Amino acid sequence: MATLFPTTVAPRGFVSTDPELAAVDASVRWPVMVCFLTAVHWMVVGTFLLVYASSLTHPQDSFPILGLFIDLSNNFSMFTYGRVWPAAIDALVYGWASTAGLGLAIWLLARTTRAPACAPAALMTAVVFWNLGVAIGLIGIFLGDSTGIELLEFPTYASWVLWLAYALFALWSVATYLGRRPGHDHIAQAWLLVALFAFPWLYGAGSILLSSHPMPGSGVIQELIDAWYVHGIYTLWLAPLGLGLLYYLIPKISGISIRFGSKAKIAFWTWIIFAPWTAVHDLVGGPFPAETVTVGLILSGLIFIPVALIGMSLISTAFTAEDKQGHHGGVVFPFLVLAAVAFVVAGLSEQLLSIRSANELLRFTMFRECNCFLWVYGFFSFVVFGSIYYIVPRLLDFGWRSALLVRIHYYTSLYGILLVIAMLCFGGVMQGNTLENPDAQVTIVTATDVSISFHIAATMCISLIAIGNGIFALHLGWMLIDWLRLRVRGNRLAAEILLEPYEGDAPAKTTKEMAA
Amino acid sequence: MNSMSNFRSFFGLLLVAFLFTWVGLVVFPWLELGHLAPIQDEGSTDITPWDSSGTAHAGEHVYAANGCAYCHTQQVRPATSGADIIRGWGTAKDEDGKDVTRRSYPRDYIWQGQVFLGNSRDGADLSNVAQRFPDAAGLYRYLYDPYVLNPHSSMPAYHFLFITQKISGQPSRDALVLPEADAAPAGYEIVPTAQAKSLVAYLLSLKKGYHLKPDEAGIPYVPPSTKS
Repeated sequence: MATLFPTTVAPRGFVSTDPELAAVDASVRWPVMVCFLTAVHWMVVGTFLLVYASSLTHPQDSFPILGLFIDLSNNFSMFTYGRVWPAAIDALVYGWASTAGLGLAIWLLARTTRAPACAPAALMTAVVFWNLGVAIGLIGIFLGDSTGIELLEFPTYASWVLWLAYALFALWSVATYLGRRPGHDHIAQAWLLVALFAFPWLYGAGSILLSSHPMPGSGVIQELIDAWYVHGIYTLWLAPLGLGLLYYLIPKISGISIRFGSKAKIAFWTWIIFAPWTAVHDLVGGPFPAETVTVGLILSGLIFIPVALIGMSLISTAFTAEDKQGHHGGVVFPFLVLAAVAFVVAGLSEQLLSIRSANELLRFTMFRECNCFLWVYGFFSFVVFGSIYYIVPRLLDFGWRSALLVRIHYYTSLYGILLVIAMLCFGGVMQGNTLENPDAQVTIVTATDVSISFHIAATMCISLIAIGNGIFALHLGWMLIDWLRLRVRGNRLAAEILLEPYEGDAPAKTTKEMAA
Repeated sequence: MNSMSNFRSFFGLLLVAFLFTWVGLVVFPWLELGHLAPIQDEGSTDITPWDSSGTAHAGEHVYAANGCAYCHTQQVRPATSGADIIRGWGTAKDEDGKDVTRRSYPRDYIWQGQVFLGNSRDGADLSNVAQRFPDAAGLYRYLYDPYVLNPHSSMPAYHFLFITQKISGQPSRDALVLPEADAAPAGYEIVPTAQAKSLVAYLLSLKKGYHLKPDEAGIPYVPPSTKS
């Protein structure tokens, strides 16, 4: 444990030693910081809502505060499970993951193009409107305007705000990309381009075809588009953003190039082609064309190729770096390695669902939540945590306040997510075994009785994650307040404020470029 | 991505990869199932399935807004895939009182403005809920307090879909009949709001007591009148 977070005092501040990168960081400082701060705010909101929603899944429990929760949910439409649960998931996916993702995309795009960002005011406008869209959408859900379509619950008036905010951001990113310095191509850019290109397609098609201009009579096609959308958000928006960051940060922090870099290209293309087909995991046995499902299961079953290649190269890079340096390398690295591991586990859960018999067992159980948590909380959140720990000191030239808080955050998040996944996974199997029991005497009540203890356990584990997230948010706030006080006072309290090891900014050797 | 042309070919390939999924997953099934028509009986004007009332369609919005679909599915898988038929979710009586037990077909959903197939079964499947709750009074009571009828239920109570009002003159016809613990104070009654009424109308429209035999494999069905 002592070597997991070695704390040393940074010798000369946190700004990158590379003047070009320092200029880039300075140019995107405020848009990225606003993204991070608002994202952390949505994380706190979303996690709190999630604890509340999860506690409503076991109403028989007589824990004191539950009585209050249940009274609220019974008597006020705002607090009913069917509104709080989608609000929680949307706050996490759009407010936390996507807002943080926008910040990471801005930073990574500016860094990999090595050109100081243009038009920060336009960027700031986009970020503000994005947050406005999320806020309007959540209020809409609470007031009963939810569309009831998974991950597209935001009412139409909020979708338009989000989409326009994203369009402005997209214009900025195209302009930045066109103004890039030649000769600095990075594989992270390819992943980033996928995410930036996929989101408007997904969100545009999803919200237009399903909520703003739904087609009466199209029947089950609506659910098909929604399945494509939900899995597109995981596999073509969040996953590429997270992988881009991992491909950029892991070599940069460890100082060695990505292992098996020559396989990066094949991993990239196989992921783009196979991963979105995980959508058919929500269609097996349903009223859909059989051939679509069969072909889809085969294609999504091939997801093990990119998952294995990406996992192998990222994780073995981390282990090689550890061998060389004798420790895990600072505050940031454990989070990123864990994110890479979570990516592989999420890939395995998709792999499991692509087996028809396993899918039939687990389809309608809490295993599906396990899958969602693996992508959003397990994989993507850890990328964001690691990245924020890395990026913020470089933007503000100011260190994190306490290694102890980072350590508590790390372990609560780690055990929280591990336990949640274990509970939802085992609970899903038990629930599935009951639901699919060939004995006709078994009813839905039997299945509810089986799943309830796992729901209680999941609530407790989500509370553990919530504690970790809360500590992270407080730490960020503390850091910001101290930074402001320092700016006002104007003197540097060297040793007191710098509690993060300084990882050099030596440009790591990039892997082979990705252009076809 | 050294030059613009490299970027163009990268982007082109990306577009092709995205289109591959979009066409295979959405466009093809859409062409196949997006424009299904009801089946018309030979020699009569009856069609199967039939449309539900306007109140029931309004109920879809209540169903969506309160997130019923996060715990309830509305799809019955075939006997070869899962135990839905064994759970009894695929059974409903037809007009003659005979049991129809079958899976769900795409054509079952053509009249629904919004389709809620659902992905979670914390609650029972609702494809044929009107078979198990044939009258509105039972559904109102269940929505108002599920524990009364089923102490193991993890379904929340929906008190907010009802109002407690003073009885003036005759009691309302659709006032809830509740056991003592839940009942309104003397002189008062609990009645469903307009939202509850449309939600219940929607739930009562969920019953698939008819055969769609020619559609077994999801192949578009050609109405007999167009056959030569």
